Parts: sequence; structure tokens; C-alpha cells
Amino acid sequence: MSKTIIDASSDSISFKELAHYKELFWMLALRDFKIRYAQTFLGILWAFIQPAATILILYMVFGRFAQVDTGQIHHVVFTAVGLLPWTYFSYVMQNSGNSIIAAQAMVKKVYFPRIIIPVSKALVGLIDFGINAIIVIFLMLLLKQEVSTNIWALPLFIVIGIFVSLGIGIWLSALTIRFRDFQYVVPFMVQLGLYITPTAYPSEFALKQLPEWASYLYFLNPMVGVVEGFRWSILDCTAPHGLSFLSFGVAALVFSSSLFYFRKIDGKIADIV
Amino acid sequence: MSAIIEIQNLSKHYSLGSASKSTLREVLSSLNRNNDVFKALDDVSFNVERGQSVGIIGSNGAGKSTLLKVLSKITKPTSGRAIIDGRVTSLLEVGTGFHPELTGRENIFLNGSILGMSKQEIRLKFDAIVAFSGVEKFLDTPVKHYSSGMYVRLAFAVAAHLDSEILIVDEVLAVGDAEFQKKCLGMMKNSEQSGRTVLFVSHSFAAIRQLCTKGVWLDQGQLKYEGEINKCIDAYSKSFKSTKIADSNENDEVEIGDIFAINSKKQSLKSFSNSEEIVVIVNLKINSKDAPDTVQLRFVDSSGQVVFLSNHSDRKAILLKQDWNCLTMTIPAYLLNEGIYSLYMGIGYHTLRWVVRELKVFDLEIHFSPMNLDFASLSRRPGVFAPMLEWTREEDVKIEADYD
Repeated sequence: MSKTIIDASSDSISFKELAHYKELFWMLALRDFKIRYAQTFLGILWAFIQPAATILILYMVFGRFAQVDTGQIHHVVFTAVGLLPWTYFSYVMQNSGNSIIAAQAMVKKVYFPRIIIPVSKALVGLIDFGINAIIVIFLMLLLKQEVSTNIWALPLFIVIGIFVSLGIGIWLSALTIRFRDFQYVVPFMVQLGLYITPTAYPSEFALKQLPEWASYLYFLNPMVGVVEGFRWSILDCTAPHGLSFLSFGVAALVFSSSLFYFRKIDGKIADIV
Repeated sequence: MSAIIEIQNLSKHYSLGSASKSTLREVLSSLNRNNDVFKALDDVSFNVERGQSVGIIGSNGAGKSTLLKVLSKITKPTSGRAIIDGRVTSLLEVGTGFHPELTGRENIFLNGSILGMSKQEIRLKFDAIVAFSGVEKFLDTPVKHYSSGMYVRLAFAVAAHLDSEILIVDEVLAVGDAEFQKKCLGMMKNSEQSGRTVLFVSHSFAAIRQLCTKGVWLDQGQLKYEGEINKCIDAYSKSFKSTKIADSNENDEVEIGDIFAINSKKQSLKSFSNSEEIVVIVNLKINSKDAPDTVQLRFVDSSGQVVFLSNHSDRKAILLKQDWNCLTMTIPAYLLNEGIYSLYMGIGYHTLRWVVRELKVFDLEIHFSPMNLDFASLSRRPGVFAPMLEWTREEDVKIEADYD
């Protein structure tokens, strides 16, 4: 075995080391999932009830009251597909921010690559993502919605979605250790994000009302491209807007910068948490 | 033999106040202010040979835990480095990551993987872990329903089954009952025989003496002594007596001189075996004509409980004269339990008016000496005192209680 050298220099995030701890990812994710519904009466049913209720509410507000036009596609399916990546994203955002602080007892007493903590939240989110996907399939069958031939592109958008969520999650977990202010910013970001992301309406609907310079701003939200991509590859809605590449660019930037920042703060986590 | 751990000029500094700067505003407002630096570790260098057991001693805040944290990669040093040639397991706490809602079985897997074991490894050792812990019946019960004893036993069982060349242990023995402590020590002793290297922090000299061959004494972040364990502990114990009695001595009526404790060999120490008689010596100068009639010593244990108090005139009146007085108080052997005791002194009139009240004089440590280990437990007994009382077995006689 090679020698370990402990000194003041910051280590790069070693994938070899992460691979050694790969089971810890699963254990932490599994723990989160198991304890989430512990001692609830309905148990795992909650994992279905919560997203179903959100779909219903958004359908009522956007589909019925505001009469948003979604073309041939039933608004419920339209919204359910839009929510699929968004729910995942917001779950990771909400849970990874606080994750290191919540695990501080562990962080101060044992070493393992700290990045596992926020990343394991992204893993738990995948379980909910699966449950949401079941709801979407169910609704599509119920409303006799055909699957688009673009479905081959879906894995690509899933991967982009995961990377955006990871990026934001890692950023937030690292920032929240230093600045607890983020604990209060995150719920607000989630709330705002639901409206500035085209989950329950098509993006053209927003772009029509916006001056040109503002549409660039609109696509700076990395989830816009992902949500559009999901709907294009599942429901054959309009292909992602040209500006979506702006979204994907931001996604790549967020992810790579998050690793960079996390690496900078990594060695100090136990001291400042 | 080659060094398995090389520690070279290791330092860890904390800038005071920076830890609390957790809001944006605080960071912005302190950008151009210089913070004081606290040196938790200050230029420490030493080597640990393969298979050696090293005890790290020192008072609270001496940097022992910081050193272990740096070596277990939990925190980074400010400067200097350590080169480690092997897999490290650190046990700074028993049951790190245990979740109360999960069952015993689930926690074994969770805790094991936090400590760096693979699922395969845990599965292989699962039965052994369960057997060691003795909680077979409750494996599928959430650990929140466990008694604290069961909880600790299960947690320790996981840690005990880690394979690693280097084991770092911090005061884990402080939890659990005597039985459990024995088990822990036994496990560490075994690992030492199997060629494992152990780094062990403890306040229990008895445990350290039993387990370690080498001692490292840290004081205010600096290495004070490195060498054979008994010499190291002696050096550390001798340092105790240099504590000066505070300036609370500004008093017209009495002047307090040296106060210290000696053993039967007249050595002035702060750490005694329970097998020796301890004599506490109090030097006092009385300035007023009307001398105080009570000098009181109060022994308080580490939990703050008064173990006993003793007045200088308890048995026979001793008059203090106007000048220097030298008083002695003898604590019999085999009376005190293992632990650290603080001595407080009071000087007053008829216990009504105190000239000196609750003046902390010094701390002393009692350890169970290895000499009487044959049957007795080697560490602290339950209870406030640990007297060795006389027992006999009467030949051929049944003594009836006489109630008349």
C-alpha cells in the first residue's frame, strides 16, 4: 500500500478513493430513504401522494384557471412530465444544502470523502424520481398519450439533470457550512424556481411576454433546458429552444465550479462546521 | 523496524473567532481585522514504529485530540506533515453515524461502511460482530429502543472487527461499565499482539500502562516528552506540582504557602496509586492574633460531587499559632476510587465566618495500581469509594445473629 501523506495542501477529489467508499453512498442514501417515512401511518404511500398532489394543484391553477394552452397534450401529462426533472432538482437542492451540517457529528469524528454526503442526497432523489416516473407512465396510459420517437434522447437529459442538481447541491452544501444564511435562501429559491421553470406551461408562453434580453436571462436557469428536453423526448413537444444551450452551458459551469469550490473547502469542513 | 507513522513538525493553528463567523455580514466586517491564533499543535515531531502501542497523555486542551484528528484526516494541519504507511482506523467515538430509527442489523452495515469497511467485509464478519455484541435477539429492533449499554456494545463490536494496520483510539473507554472497558482493553491488547500499531489517548494511566510501551506527553500543543511509558507518566505527574496557588491569597489574616501531597517515599506527586497512603501537607501563616479554628479540605470528584470533607480539628483540637503552621492530613491506602479529584480548602472560624472559602488547591489523580490486579478489576469501580475491606472465612462455625 502506498504511503499516505497528510499535510496542508488540499487534495484533489480522488475518484479512486470515492470508488473505495462507493458502498457508503448507498448506505447513506438507503438510510435517508428508510427513515424518511419511519413511524408514519401511510409510509411509502407518501412518496406517491406528494407528487400527485403537486401535479393536481398545478393542473388546477395553470390548466383550468389560467387556461394555458398545451396543444394536443393533456395538461396533466404535460405538467407531470415537466415536474419529473424539477422535483428531483428541488429535492436535491433542499436536502443537500443542510446535509453536511446535519452530519456534523459524523464529520468531526471520522474521515471519509466529505463530498459523499451531498452526493448521497442526489442518489436518494433518484428513488423519488423513479416513483414520479411511475406516476407519469400511469397518467400516460390513462390518458392514452403516445410516447415520442425522440425517447432515445431522454437519458441524455436525465444525465444533464443529475449533473445540474449535483452541482447546485454541492455548491449549497459547501456554502451553507460557512454561511448559514443559505438555510433561509434555499426554500425561497425552490419556491421561485417552480415559477421560473416551465414546469406547468410551455417556455414559449413566457418568452412571448418577455423582451429579448430577458429571454437570455430566462435560459440562464439550467433547468429550463432540461425540462424542455424531457418534454420533447417524451411527449414530442416543440424541440428545446435554441437558447437551451445556454442552460446546458450553465449546467456544465455549475457542476465543474462546484467540484472546484468543494475541493477548496474540503480540508476545513471539520473546523468550521 | 521501520516507522509506520512519521510526524514531522506538525502544527495546527486555529484563528480565534473565525469559527463563529458564519454569516456573510460577519465575514465582510472582519476582512481587515487580524485574529488571534490558538496553537492547538505546535511543531510536534515523533515517529511510531510498526507494531508499537503509543499512549498520548496531557491535560485537557493539550492537543491530544487534535493530533488524533489530524492523523485520521478529519482536519488538515496548518503546517508540517505526517507520513502514514498503512490503513488507519480511527475510533474517536463509539457508534459514529448510528441512526436511532434503523435496526441493529442496518446500523452494523451503516457504521461499518462509515468506518471504511466494504459490504463484503461486513457480511463476512457479521456473525462475529453480533456474537461479540450479544444483542442477537434485538437485531431487527430499531436501536432507539436499545438500552445505552446495548447500544455501546453493538457499536464497539463493529469497530472491534475492523482490519487495519493502525488503530487510533480516543478515550472511548470513558463510556460503558467496567466490564465493557475490560473488553475494549482486551481487544486492543490483542490487536497489539497481532502486530497492529495502536495510538491511544486516555486519562486513565492504569489503562495506558497496561496497553502501551511508549508514551508521548503533549502540553499546550508542544511535545514535552517522548519515551518509555512509565517514565513518560512520571514526568507528566511531576509537572502537576508546579501549579501555583492563585492570587486569591490576598488576605491580611492568613497567608497560604505550599500545599502538596506526598506518598510514603516522601515523593511529591499528583498521581498516586490507590495502594499507597497519601499525606497532604498544608503550609499556612496566621497573621491575626485570633487564629482561625478550622482548616477544611474538601475532595470533589470530576463530576462535581463532594467525596468527603475533613476538618483539621476533627479528631483532636489543634491550635494554630500566630506564624507559619505546617498541617498534615493522611488519606489511608485502598480508600479512594480511581479518578481525578480536586482539592478545595477553606479556612474559617467555627465554620461560621470564612477567611478563605473554597480555594482550589490542586488536582490529584488516583490510579489502580497493577500490583493488586489478580482478582480486582483494573479500573474504576462503581461507587464513590473503592475501599479494600477485610473478608474472612470462619472455619466450621456458623455464626448466628444475636438479636437479644
